[in-house]
Amino acid sequence: MQSFGYEHPEWLGQAVDLLRTHRPHARPLAGGTDLVNRLRDGTLRPHVVVDLKGIAELRPGITQADGRLWISATTVLADLVADERMRTHFPALVTAAGVVGPVQIRNRATLAGNICNASPAADTAPPLLVYRAQVIARGPAGTRSIPIDAFFLGPGKTTLARDELVTAIELPVRDRPVQAAFGRLTRRRGADLATVSVCVSVDGTGSTRIGYGAVGPRPLLATDDSGVLADPATDPATRTSLLARLARATSPVSDVRASQEYRRSMLLVLSQRVLRAAVIGEGEG
Amino acid sequence: MNGPVGTSAERVDGPARVSGGYRYLGDIRLPDVLHAKLVTLDCARARIRSIDASAARRVPGVVQVLTAADLPQPVPRFGPQFRDRPVLAVAETKYHGEPVAAVAAETLAAAEDAARLIRVEYEELPAVCTIAAALAQGAPLVQDPALRLGDPLANTNVLQEHRYAWGDTETAASDLIVAGTYTFPMVTHFAIERHGCIAARDGDGITIWSTIQHPFWLQRTIAELLSLPLAKVRVVAPDPGGGFGGKQHAKYEPLVAFMAMRAGRPVRLILTLEETFQAVRRTSAQVRVRTGFRADGAITFREVDADYLLGAYADIADRLVSKGSYVSCGPYRIPAARIVARSILSHTLPSTAFRGFGAPQPLWASESNMDEAARALGIDPVELRLRNLARRGEQFIPGDTPADGAWEQTVRKAAELVGWGTPVPAGRGRGIAVGIKPGPTTGLSYATVRLLADGSVVMSSGTSDMGQGARTVYVQIAAEELGVPMDRITLLMGDTAVVCYDQQTSASRSTVLMGNAITYACREVQAQLRTMAARHCQVDESAIEVARGVVRLPDRQIPIGEFVRLGLGRLGGEVIGIGESRKEHVPGHPLSGSPVFFEFNCTAVDAEVDAETGDILLVRHVTVSDVGKAINPMQVRGQDEGAAIQGLGHTLMEQYILDESGRISNLGALDYRIPTSMDLPLQLCSDVVENADGPGPYGAKGMSEGALLCVAPAVAAAVTDATGAVIRDLPLTAERVWRALSTPAADSSPTATATAAADEQRRCADGT
Repeated sequence: MQSFGYEHPEWLGQAVDLLRTHRPHARPLAGGTDLVNRLRDGTLRPHVVVDLKGIAELRPGITQADGRLWISATTVLADLVADERMRTHFPALVTAAGVVGPVQIRNRATLAGNICNASPAADTAPPLLVYRAQVIARGPAGTRSIPIDAFFLGPGKTTLARDELVTAIELPVRDRPVQAAFGRLTRRRGADLATVSVCVSVDGTGSTRIGYGAVGPRPLLATDDSGVLADPATDPATRTSLLARLARATSPVSDVRASQEYRRSMLLVLSQRVLRAAVIGEGEG
Repeated sequence: MNGPVGTSAERVDGPARVSGGYRYLGDIRLPDVLHAKLVTLDCARARIRSIDASAARRVPGVVQVLTAADLPQPVPRFGPQFRDRPVLAVAETKYHGEPVAAVAAETLAAAEDAARLIRVEYEELPAVCTIAAALAQGAPLVQDPALRLGDPLANTNVLQEHRYAWGDTETAASDLIVAGTYTFPMVTHFAIERHGCIAARDGDGITIWSTIQHPFWLQRTIAELLSLPLAKVRVVAPDPGGGFGGKQHAKYEPLVAFMAMRAGRPVRLILTLEETFQAVRRTSAQVRVRTGFRADGAITFREVDADYLLGAYADIADRLVSKGSYVSCGPYRIPAARIVARSILSHTLPSTAFRGFGAPQPLWASESNMDEAARALGIDPVELRLRNLARRGEQFIPGDTPADGAWEQTVRKAAELVGWGTPVPAGRGRGIAVGIKPGPTTGLSYATVRLLADGSVVMSSGTSDMGQGARTVYVQIAAEELGVPMDRITLLMGDTAVVCYDQQTSASRSTVLMGNAITYACREVQAQLRTMAARHCQVDESAIEVARGVVRLPDRQIPIGEFVRLGLGRLGGEVIGIGESRKEHVPGHPLSGSPVFFEFNCTAVDAEVDAETGDILLVRHVTVSDVGKAINPMQVRGQDEGAAIQGLGHTLMEQYILDESGRISNLGALDYRIPTSMDLPLQLCSDVVENADGPGPYGAKGMSEGALLCVAPAVAAAVTDATGAVIRDLPLTAERVWRALSTPAADSSPTATATAAADEQRRCADGT
């Protein structure tokens, strides 16, 4: 590992200043589960690493206010998974967060880090898309709120500027939790990257939102407001052809995990299974 | 037996191993040590034009940059079978990951920085990375024919061809012939401890610390390369943190030795996980099996053509080709057989020994062939095996070690434990297979046992305990023989300057061969005690018996620990026993020696297949091994379960993926997946057959590889049973199973004569 400067600012403003001063040779550090690997293998060689864990405004925590759950940037996935409000309102995100790495990783890795890493296969991305998350970012010009769907640009690329920091992720809380489910395929049952992942939500108005992971350069969102998918009485052929049409927005590739052909087929299988789970959830809820 | 033999005695050093207290190679810190880093090219094969190390040398802390030009010329070569591997690549790299230079620096970071700054100008050359490419007309030769003087195959990529035959396969009359070609992937050992070594000048010699499994073999290799007497080469080998065969033979120890001698300072090289992936793998293979059957299921003949894909250097792989293919007809009574096995060189990383030593590859083919035959014949797969299985004492390979166990007991036990014959729910299937592997064919092990004046014991052995539990077994044996509590025994291992010679730790030999040496050493101590007792008690020796911890005099018996105090008298001292266990080489034998024992295993699984995704869920996995006698039942179980799970790796998910130019695409733990605790079968059940009929202490046989041998054919048979799909390539990834289910016709029809079965398979696949 190449040596680097380590900064441990106490205030958010200092952190943003450090990123701006050293741009593009500074990297923020939260859980470190992605960053440290890249420091070790030399694919990232920053001059300065800015540790966010001591920043007063970014203390770990999930707070509820103004109809939103606010997840601070240093909140680790294990805490998210254990949070009762999250489990009640965003169960599909809890499921997805619960399969990121093994528990040791979830005890360190943050939700903010998972999306800033911008892996097309990031497990939490499809549910965040489905649940209409907003990414709160702070930069030299101030704070802005980015809809999650606009946040991801491509593999490893987000809309964040190099001197901007994610400070929190916000999720709108509904009076009646929207029914949703998450599922993924992996090469093994132990910790693994998703071969494909799907999150589906079905709300009371019949609107269906589908988040896809690992099927293109970035996580994707598709929506269906026809009510057809949300209706348990829809005949299977109609449902299948609609799911297939929605999945056309995806552009899976062949890589070491799976071929394009397998991904395309599994996307449909998984969409059907996850939709079923979401709809059954709706019926039960 | 009242002693610890046969009990699940607590593992010697167990608590230290699981609490992080154990000192592995990586924990050794020498003052003044330099850290080494390898320089490799990002391609399979290249002509090296020039190496510019000027920028690297300017990195603060860099002490040495070594290239082939800095080594003695011609660059020394080494290898356990052929001296074909250069210390550093000469003029041409022959596999993705072969080092062209190495850097030594005061810190690892400096070495890594400098390694990155070494500019190698090279021209990428076409590489042969598959069996077909290596055998193609006009294929580039992997090894320079000048290295293979006098070898008629020197102008081909075939390193060796091994032929075994008996009876006449041409004239055998059969009612059914079943044939098929099967492939076995490249997989890596993935020992949790990475490979590494440290070398330092030591007076007028050298000391090497290494994760090596065969310290004495390494000692010989280094002595030859540096022209030093054996006595001036000391190899310290801390217990490896997993070996599985990958750590048997020298890889980078020679390079680090040259670096240390040149630097005059210790040099340390610990490979990254990615570098271990580029250092060791199992030999991949393509195996064609053709078997004739009578309508009643009796095998009439079997032909096996096994092509094994070695890497660029042979390492020990040609030996595993000859030894693994030797039993490729299986543990069956076969009147006529013809086996042709070829070792084929390629521009891939050198393959080497790996648990199973060349047997899992042909067993995947021959046992799958048995399953296809059972379906075609309409005979139950268990019944078909029992009908053909060699019975104890039968020479199933003419002229060689006969069947050395009641193997049918093993098969029956496995079938019973998996619930063979009971109804299976829809979407589920069962499969069964047997595995056989020849044990060691030669061996030489010495052990010393010193009974000290207070009745405690210091013993030594040259075995490496890489997790198989040899330390515990040896201490149990000595405790049993001498009646000493296990915690009063110290066992020294892993230092050629301290312990006596042991040929190697491989082939599941140690409990048998070293175990016998320890038993003999204990018996020698007992004999001396008898003489001592006769003198001390003034009784005739013939009236005294010393065994299992006690000295039996005509009128009383005294525990050995108590007696030795009396016997040694005022000066104290110790009673020294030396044991030697030897298995001679047999001239003219195709393996240069007959197997000391066979490892025999039967694996049966119950699996559920997700018809939409192709995912396999193992509901129950049963593994039963014939172990003769379980010296430590808990350790036997641990070995069998570990082997079974490791076998699930190549069965379900593990494989190197090479791109078209021969680079490894899935280099590293993220993209090369091994089974985790989450991937275990829902039920994993291991059991043993113990008839005390082995050649080792108390009737023990070698074990620890058996449970890996036939995992793949058992699982594949269960998939066929569940879905009708016949798959002949490993691993059985969800995608591969899905493909087989989506294209039922493509993968079935094993032979023209088995069309009924093929139709059946198609029908089942369509129906799901």
